[in-house]
Amino acid sequence: MGRIFKDQMTPMERAAALANCKDVDRLPCNPNVANGVSRVYGCKVSDFNRSARTLADAQIASYRRFGYDSVRIFTDLFPWAEAMGATLTLPEDSTADLLEPALKTKEDILNYQKIPVINPYKDGRLPIYLEAMKYLVDEIGSEVGCTAALVGPFTNACFLVGVEKILRMCLREPEVVHHLCQISLESLIAYADAAIDIGLGPTISEPMSSCTVISPAIFKTFSEPYLKQLVHHIQKRGKGVVMHICGKTAPIWNDIADMGIAGFSIDNVASILDCKHTIGHKTKILGNVDPATTMYMGTPNAVKLETLQCIKDGYDSPKGFVPMSGCSLPIETPFANIDAMLDTVAELGYPVDPQKLDSMIEDAKQLCAKE
Amino acid sequence: MNTKEDLLQKMATAVLEMEEDDVLELCAEYVAHGYDALEATTDGLAIGMNKAGDLYESGEYYIPELLLCSDAMYQGIDYLRPHIPQKSNDEKKYTAVVGVVEGDTHDIGKNLFKIMLETVGFEVYDLGRDVPTDHFLEKAKEVRADLIGLSTLMTTTMQNMSIVIEKLVAQQMREDVVVMVGGGPISAEFARKIGADGYAPDAGTAANAAKELVLEKHSH
Repeated sequence: MGRIFKDQMTPMERAAALANCKDVDRLPCNPNVANGVSRVYGCKVSDFNRSARTLADAQIASYRRFGYDSVRIFTDLFPWAEAMGATLTLPEDSTADLLEPALKTKEDILNYQKIPVINPYKDGRLPIYLEAMKYLVDEIGSEVGCTAALVGPFTNACFLVGVEKILRMCLREPEVVHHLCQISLESLIAYADAAIDIGLGPTISEPMSSCTVISPAIFKTFSEPYLKQLVHHIQKRGKGVVMHICGKTAPIWNDIADMGIAGFSIDNVASILDCKHTIGHKTKILGNVDPATTMYMGTPNAVKLETLQCIKDGYDSPKGFVPMSGCSLPIETPFANIDAMLDTVAELGYPVDPQKLDSMIEDAKQLCAKE
Repeated sequence: MNTKEDLLQKMATAVLEMEEDDVLELCAEYVAHGYDALEATTDGLAIGMNKAGDLYESGEYYIPELLLCSDAMYQGIDYLRPHIPQKSNDEKKYTAVVGVVEGDTHDIGKNLFKIMLETVGFEVYDLGRDVPTDHFLEKAKEVRADLIGLSTLMTTTMQNMSIVIEKLVAQQMREDVVVMVGGGPISAEFARKIGADGYAPDAGTAANAAKELVLEKHSH
């Protein structure tokens, strides 16, 4: 099995034509296959910790298999914190995780100013990612947009001292949090520069800034100032930035859009319709098929239905809309569901015909009801 | 002078306002009067934590505030503990086993759930994070748990929740225990699909739901 509805254009051709208001075959679409690329290529997730060639080959294999519109060098949220002294668990065949933050003891925290800014060419797994980026640019860079994942400064700061600790510190020891965000910013800029030098545009994941975790007030005090500097730095280097924040984000949508980002990717708990009405005139919106219940556990028909419902809510957003998953997909997401998302977008075509969209939704509903 | 009621009310307020020092002072004054220390936890500190949970639900408080409220509550509980008499009556306290499923070390949601379970009166056994599926069953058997709470923040480890439930069924323990699942990627639909009894979008609601489910199970 594989895709049923074949694409007529490469992602690059599609993006260029869309930007110039020319005919395109379909909306761009990004199911957000993360470490699941290992399942397409046939390797272990931990191979990505060691081999740039394997990381690039797996990304390329998955792009070729599904034909989605963005390829991203991303394995987990922790490589920058790791390069700054955090320790990780690196399981054989699943996603890396934080074991211990860089600052563990009270004494460590007192000496927080000693944490170094990273050298992306030397520290931790970062050189592997940079090497993999070169392979992507050389081998598929002319047909699909390749990006380098970054986390935001606040999220990285959380991993330097531990999530619960830093959340308390936001209210009790703000100066430490500001320092950790500042060195995180400098480190992330160093990495972003290295990626941009290779030719990739960065994307930013900032999960800890979610309103599910911190208040908009804490976001504005500790996260936004540094996040904004990171975005502006990348823009000055001539690249647009797509940002993703997990969980609830509605109270900070305007703050994010006003940074001038190229696109904002929302979680499935957020509403595309509300997001469109709030910031659709400022930035492109991407989202938000449920990665767990629908993509991982659902059927292809359920994927089709939810993808269409997302498109119905978002397709007329003034600055554009990209059907996407609400977060990175679980590793074992069935290929048939990833195909279903892209096939749905291809079957619908472009420009989106509202009548066709409605009739496809009705058909998908009936198919789902029979399951 | 503060009456007992005043002190209880002030303790609740001090927890809600994250004032650890005030909590300790109030507890000291309360104990000096010889009032019932157990009441101070249930009718003072826990009330404050409950209100903090309400503020979290309504979007006024966020996780940092909840953590500091719980710090204040536990400071008070630690102070009061030596003054709480050994249980004279054999009032049944419900027991819960909670943990983050294997493959995931994000425990913030689980920790909040644990705090809120204690607030509504459960005795909680915390298995920590990255817990192998069998450990949930072993501990539940050992403490005759009324509730198992499974948490994950990662889509990659959700399947371990259904494995725990399958093993409970295989060992004929499923009927004896309420299973609740929670965490970032978990939805009510996912909970239903894997055969969990309950799910709630946040720790406060989840703890209240847990209590109701356990009471319901025991009323049969």
